[in-house]
This record gives sequence, structure tokens and C-alpha cells, in this order.
Amino acid sequence: MMGMKAKRKWAAILIAILFLIVCFIMLFPLYYLFLASFKSSKDLFRYGMDFRINLELMSLDNYRLLFSANNGMYLHWYKNSLLIVILYTAGSLFLSSLVGYALGAYRFRGQNFLFILVLVVMMMPLEILMLPLYKLTVQMRIINTYSGVILPFLVSPIAVFFFRQFVTGLNKEFIDAGRIDGCTEFGIFFRIMAPLMAPAFGAMGILLAMQNWNSLVWPLIVLRTNNMFTLPIGLSSLLTPYGNNYDMLIPGSVLATIPIILFFLFNQRAFISGLTSGGIKG
Amino acid sequence: MRYGPNTATDRNSLKKLLYSRKLAPYLFASPFILTFLIFFLYPTFSTIVMSFQELTGLNNAKFIGLDNYKRLFDVHFYNALKTNTLYTLLSILLLIPIPLLFAVLLNLAFVRGKNFFRAAIFLPALTSVIVAGVSFRLMFGELDTALINSLLIKMGLPPQNWSLNYWTGMMLMVILNLWRHAGINMVYYLAGLQTIPEELYESAEIDGAGPVQKFFTITLPLLKPIMIYTVTVAIFEGYRMFGESYVFWNESMPGDIGLTIVRYIYQQAFQRNDLGFGSAIGITLLVIVLAINLAQLKFFGFFKKDSDS
Amino acid sequence: MRRINILILTMLLVLMAVLSGCTGDGGSTSSTNQPSDSPRETQKSSESSKPAAPVALNLWTFNELHKTYYEKTAELWNQTHPDQPINLTVESYPNAEMHNKLLIALQSGVGAPDVVDINVNFFSNFLKGDIQLVELNDLVAPEKDKFVQSRFDIYSKDGKIYGTPFHVGATVVYYNKEIMDQAGVNPDAIKTWADFIEAGKKVVVATGKPMTAFEVTNQRPFWPMIVQQGSDYLDKNGDVILDNETNIRTLNAMHDMIYKDKIAIPMPGGDTTKEEFFTFMNQGEMGALIMPMWYMSRFLSYMPDLEGKIIVRPMPVWKDGDSRSAGMGGTGTAVTKQSKNQEAAMQFLAFAKLTREANIRIWQELKFDPPRWDVWDAPELQQPDPYFGNEAVFNTLLQMKDEIKSPNMGELITAAQDLVNSSVMFKALKDQSQTPEQALKAAAEELRKQK
Repeated sequence: MMGMKAKRKWAAILIAILFLIVCFIMLFPLYYLFLASFKSSKDLFRYGMDFRINLELMSLDNYRLLFSANNGMYLHWYKNSLLIVILYTAGSLFLSSLVGYALGAYRFRGQNFLFILVLVVMMMPLEILMLPLYKLTVQMRIINTYSGVILPFLVSPIAVFFFRQFVTGLNKEFIDAGRIDGCTEFGIFFRIMAPLMAPAFGAMGILLAMQNWNSLVWPLIVLRTNNMFTLPIGLSSLLTPYGNNYDMLIPGSVLATIPIILFFLFNQRAFISGLTSGGIKG
Repeated sequence: MRYGPNTATDRNSLKKLLYSRKLAPYLFASPFILTFLIFFLYPTFSTIVMSFQELTGLNNAKFIGLDNYKRLFDVHFYNALKTNTLYTLLSILLLIPIPLLFAVLLNLAFVRGKNFFRAAIFLPALTSVIVAGVSFRLMFGELDTALINSLLIKMGLPPQNWSLNYWTGMMLMVILNLWRHAGINMVYYLAGLQTIPEELYESAEIDGAGPVQKFFTITLPLLKPIMIYTVTVAIFEGYRMFGESYVFWNESMPGDIGLTIVRYIYQQAFQRNDLGFGSAIGITLLVIVLAINLAQLKFFGFFKKDSDS
Repeated sequence: MRRINILILTMLLVLMAVLSGCTGDGGSTSSTNQPSDSPRETQKSSESSKPAAPVALNLWTFNELHKTYYEKTAELWNQTHPDQPINLTVESYPNAEMHNKLLIALQSGVGAPDVVDINVNFFSNFLKGDIQLVELNDLVAPEKDKFVQSRFDIYSKDGKIYGTPFHVGATVVYYNKEIMDQAGVNPDAIKTWADFIEAGKKVVVATGKPMTAFEVTNQRPFWPMIVQQGSDYLDKNGDVILDNETNIRTLNAMHDMIYKDKIAIPMPGGDTTKEEFFTFMNQGEMGALIMPMWYMSRFLSYMPDLEGKIIVRPMPVWKDGDSRSAGMGGTGTAVTKQSKNQEAAMQFLAFAKLTREANIRIWQELKFDPPRWDVWDAPELQQPDPYFGNEAVFNTLLQMKDEIKSPNMGELITAAQDLVNSSVMFKALKDQSQTPEQALKAAAEELRKQK
């Protein structure tokens, strides 16, 4: 047993070193961007890729510019993105998990067919659907609204797929136990299986939030006024053929990652790391 | 029991119907069916029709039969297909095992700093690919003074013309992809790992199984559903890739280096104002990706009735 | 059971919130029945009490500098036309995406703006089939002769003008005076490309640095170099002449400048938009850059160490009779047929792009070379520029005012540029997998096969 403990200790140290290296690689490009957000665009490329911390060249000017430029439009973009992502993630988690649960926990006619439909939707390139989808949203009078951005993609096939996979890996005895106890099917879903699906909610919550937070193509087609734009639209309009507005783009993007980082950290605590194996064993 | 109207039994049967075991899956799946019918079926049908047309202006669509499809298969399409296929293969090679390894290691009970590492590895996924591109373009510049090249030189290796050579260009896209998505796949695997009961490992240990054995006999098989998921997603994201190529080659692609199918669609549909042709390309892409994924799923026994995947 | 009910309720609330279409401030947008935009006050009209109600105009652009310019123009309009007030809203979108969105809007008949900036590279797309842009000939006619003519031609079809230019985009040579002095080269003495090569050799010997660089993922200076000789990718009828004698000869000369005369290199980073190139140029690694005038803003933004060292001179010529410049790039501003206020939109357009004052502002606010040559000797444009060698840069342009040609913009022009950008330049000048002749011929063949 002593050999085991020592082995474990060495393994832990090696693993920690490995991950430190990996983290360094992962974070380095972001570190550069973080530094760059404090530099004026004049100095950004003067000396090539400069990742030394050079306090004379760094200042908060870019960030001030971000909040004052364009009548504080950045804040509008931020607000729109936040509202849309919250509504979307909540709605999509609920609906997609429901569908995924259906596909994974039951055996019913048309199951495979339905699943193939899910796959087809997942793999359809949005680009070729844009024109008809645009006409549809105009007809439904949801152009330039949050609904227009959210509704067409509210049931996310990727999440449906993931939930389905996850559910198939769970122990079905709980469902039977629930039925014996007289629970309705909905009840079984909400009270018994959903808590077991917590890690899946965690993973999909982050994925859906992330995809929605960064999504550019469809919101750009649907939204038409400046104060409705989301962050990706606003920020990428800073890239022009006559030069990029790095002064706003980089700090704008740095700040844009904050909510999603916070969500991820919250997510980790609530779903992934906090899960005891109690629910599974019992 | 009486079988008249408004009896308790009838209310019960109604309730039974709504809450019935048989109906439940259909009810649960109804959100998907609804959005599918409203937001997907009609536009898709429209697009398929468009692919047989040439759109010459407002409400002016000329039916041209299979012409779009006939001229689809030219050298640029094959180049794009080749690029996507290589990219997908290379990505799968890296993006499945590496995050799995990370997830397994991070899941071990005795590892410290889990939360920090998880967050750090995941962080790149949260950034916009366009902005991360600024970093990557500079790091992988072609001059000797660019970061990666200068490191290569220090190690005695030749500096590369990163974005101006087919293979190095391909590596660039795969590296960017790996950097951004390793964290995501890792999170999926971590979620899957949570469902594996501790006792299985414990009893395997008692039976004398080492870590590697435990991994291959317990972890891997039980993670199969999640792995099928990540492979499927990797395939279709690989074929739909746009951002990783746009970052390095945004206005022009020397020798079609960064030409992916989706960029080809944009080029033809929008930049050449030929929405009909673009639709044809898109439909073809859908068929290809669907075929590959269905084959892959069947291969892994996805559709077997008694399978647990 | 209660927990489920609460959950269902919350979800329903969420869905209701979604379905009620939460819009932004002053959310009149979701309830409008028209797809065209609702008026929004983005600036306060300065003078009060107008008899007429303000006309709402909506404008799309892909450059936020243009946005600022237009908003200021609207203010000026309202000051000078108090009886015809307008309410201008400007949206700025990313370049490629804006054109996608515009195409969708025009194709579906719904949602297009009144006025729109269209990048010259995409302009020919909107001149196909049923043209959804308004003809501007009558609007332009009174002032047309004061403009560099070719800048209207690029936005025209069959003699009808559909867009108004923002700039000339005259290609010039930016010499790094410091390097020229080091090598004992006088840029004013460089009249022909042969002179340029000679000077280049001196520069290489004296400083070890290349004289210039050629884009390999884009088409400069190849395109200006052939246009100045009267050649092009397409001829006036839109037919492909990409592989004609002149072009082959020119590309060969460029190839030799890199590999034989050794005075040029393939551009680091591939083209002039790359960050790597900014560093390279800023650190004085190159003697001269051949680019349009609108590149000046990049110098000012990203290359501070070159301040005072850059002077602007005309392009050298290949032979007598060549022009010394070619107009590259461009933004054509158009009025769409979906506009419900076409007359007002056109008037605003004229005010924003065609007047003398507007053109002076184009230089002052956007640092573009305005397309009206009669303002080039205005005092505002004659001020010496401290960055550019303390000279009045427009004197260079004034010398060439009648020579500046612009490329022919036929239907195949987008495809032609794509091919040049993505294969010809790269294959001929960078990886040398094809000779210039082979590369041009292959591209031309492919072009001819397209409809």
C-alpha cells in the first residue's frame, strides 16, 4: 500500500506538470490579446508580436473608447447578447432535453426516423437556408426581434443528440421504479431523471450558451437596427476593408468573454464538480 | 363501472391518455416536430427547389433542371471537398483522443487544481475565432522573427511559410481547431465520466486490474455513447468548417488552400450572386455529410434495437 | 407535483417572453408591419420648427468611418435644408456579410435600405438580371465633368450609372525617403519601371533591404500595372483578356524583379492587410510600396515609426503613353428601388458625395482621395502633411488627373479577381508552380468557361 501512495504522488506531480504546460499553450494566445487590449493600435504592430508587459504603452484608453464610442452602442450590443443568450439557453435546454430524453429513454415507433430527422437538421448548412428562412421570419413578423433570432433554432439538434446519448447511458430502473410509485411520465422526467442528467445539462448549457453567444450569421440577417445588434455583429463590423479598428475590437472581445466565463465557472460548480455518485448508486 | 359521459373513469382515461406511457415520447418530442415543420421543412423545400433554378432577380427564377448540379463537380469543388475531408480526418485524430486523455486524467480523484485546469483548457472555446485569429496570424507569421518560426529556429528546425503552403496551412487550421475545441470535448467526456459508477472501478481493482486495463475495459465502453456523439459532431463540423479558414485567408486563398465547402457556397451564392448554384452545392454537402455519418453510426451499431448506444 | 408546476410555469414564462418578441429600446420595431425600418432619432435636428415631417432614410455601410461621415452629413443637411428635414439611421455591418444581407433583401423584395454602400468588388453582382438599384444619371449630370470619369464607369452598365464613388483610389508609390537617401536614390528621377529596377538594385546593395514587395494573396500591384498600360482582366465588353500579351509580359517582369533582378520579394504576410506586413513595413524593411491613396490611413494607424519618412509619387511607366496611375478599390453608393423615398434619398446622396464641400470632407474626415479633381487644389487639400514628408500630397495627383484609368467592371470581374488573388499571383510569384504565362492562361480558360 505504501508503494501505491508514492506512485500516486508521482503521478499527481507529473500530471500537474503536464497540465501546466497545456494550460500555458492554451492561454498564451489569450494572454497576448489581453495585453493588446490595453495598447493603442499604433503600438500593436510596431514591434511585431509583443508579449512583454510594457506599462508605458498600456492604458485604459481603449476601454474608455469602448464605452463612449457611438453613443455607448457597445453596451446595447452587450445587453442584447446577454438577454438573447439567457432566453435561448433556458428555452433550449428545457426543450432539447425533453426531446433527447424521449429519444433515449423510450422505445417507440418512428424513433429512428425521428432521430434521422434530427441528424438532418443538424447537418444542414444554414447558408443555403438563409433566403427562405428570411422570408419566413418576415412573414411571421418577427424580423428584428429577439424571437426571430431565437425561435428557429430553439430546439437544438446537437443538444437533442447529446441528451439522447447521455440518457441511454443511465440506469433505466429508476424509470420503472417511478412508474411503480405512480409518477406521471413528466414527473419521472422532472423529479427522477433530470437530476441524473445534471452533467448533461451542465455540458449542454455551456455549449448552447457559447454557440449562441458567438453566433453571427443568423442574427445578422434578422436584426436590422444598430441598437438591436448582438456583440458578434457589432464587433465584426469593426473589421473593414480599409483597416480594422483594433482599438475597439480587442478590448471589446476581451470583455465579451467575461459573461460566458462566469457562466462556465458557475456551471462547473453547480453541475459537474458538485455531483456525488449518490443518485446513481442509490 | 359505468360508461356514461363525464364519469370519473372518463376523466381518468383522458388523464391516462395524456400521461400515458405510449403517448409520452411523442408529446416530449413535439417541440422538435413543431420547429421542424415550421422552420425547417418549408425552407429546405424552398432551397431544394432553388437548386434547380437560376435566380435572376426579384421573384424571377428560371427553372434550369439539373444544370447547377452538372457544373457542380469542378476542380474547385473537389479541392474544397479534399480540404474538408483532410481537415476532418486530422481533426478527429487529434480531437477525440487528446481531450479524452485530459478528461480521464482530470477526473482522477487525487489530481489537484482540477477546477483551474478545466477552466483554463476550456477558455479558448469561449473566444471569438475572429479575434483569436489576430494572435494566431501573428504567432504563425512567415518571417523568421515570428514567434513559432523563431522557436523552430532555436530548435534547429527550418522556419515555415505557414499560411502559404498547403500542408502547413492545413496544420494551421487543425491546430486552431484543436486549441479551441479540446476543452469542449473534454467537458463532454467529463460529463460522461460522471455516470460511471465508482464500484465498477473498485471491483476491477480488487480483481487486480491496472489503470490501463480499467480504462479499456470499463471507461471506454461506457463512454461509447458520448464518443459516438463527439465523432459525429466532429465529422459534420469538419465539413461545415468556416471560421478556421476565414481567419487565415479571408479574402483570397492561394491555390485554394483554405477553400472549404461552406466558403465555396458563400463565394458562389453571394459573391457571384448565384443563389441557385449555391443551394445545389449545399444540398450536395448535406447528402455527403449525412451519408458519412449514417455509415459511421451504423458501423458503431447505433441503430441496433438492443444496443445501449 | 408542485415543483413540476412551478417549473412548467417558469418555462412557459420564458417562452412567453420569447414569443412576445422582446425588442430593444423604443421597441416599435417588432410591431411594425412594414419590413422597412422605423424612424429613429440618431441626431437632434439643430434648427427647430420645420413645416414638413422628417423623411426617414435608412443607410447600410460596411465601414464605420463611413457611418460617422454620413451621420455628420445628415446633420449638415438638416442645417442647410431646414424645410426638408431627414432622419437618417445608419447601420454598419461587416463587409462580406453586409453584401450577403443586401442580396437576400433585394432577392426577397423586402428589407433593403434606402441608400447603401456597395464595395466595388461586389458591385457587378447587383447589376445582373433585374437591376434593383436606381439610375442616377440625371442626378450626376450637373457635376459629372468635374469628376474623374472612370470612377463612375465602374458603377455603370450600358451607360446607366448606379453608384457614386467615394474616392479615386489612385495607385501611387510610397517611398521610404530614409532608405532612398541611404541608397542615394532620388525618387523624382524614377520615371520608368526600368529606372525603378535600377534604383532597386542600388537600394539592395546599400541597405540589404528589398526595394518593394508584391502581394501574392491579392492582386496589387499587378492590376494597377496592367491597367496603366491600357490592359485589364476584362475588356470593355466584358470579355476575358486576362491572358493577353501585355499581362503576360507584365507578370513576367514582376517575376523577374523578384527572382532575376532581386529587387522585390513576395509580400510578408501575403498582402497589405496582414498584421505581419504592418510590422515589416513599420520597421523600415522595405524601400517602396505601390498601393492606392486610400492606404494612407493604414500608415497613419499602424506605422507610427514612419512618420515624416514617406513621400508619395506617381507610378513609373513601362513606356511612353502609359498613365501613371490606376484607380483601385472603391465603394459605390446606390439607392435601392425598394426605397419609399427615392427622391429624398437621391438628394441626400448628391449632398453627401457629389458637392464640392462633400469632397473636401471626404479627404478631411476619411483620408480618401476625393473623386472631384476640382477640389484637389483647394487649400484644405493643399496643406502639407507631416506624415507624408511634409508635402501637399495632392500635387502628385494633380499632375496625373487626366491619366487615371479604372478597370473594366464586367460581370465576370468578381470571378476574375478571385482567380488572380487565389491562384495566379501565388503560383506565378510565390511557389512558382506555374510560369506567369501558364498561370494567366489557366485562369483565363477557367473564366471563359463561366457564364
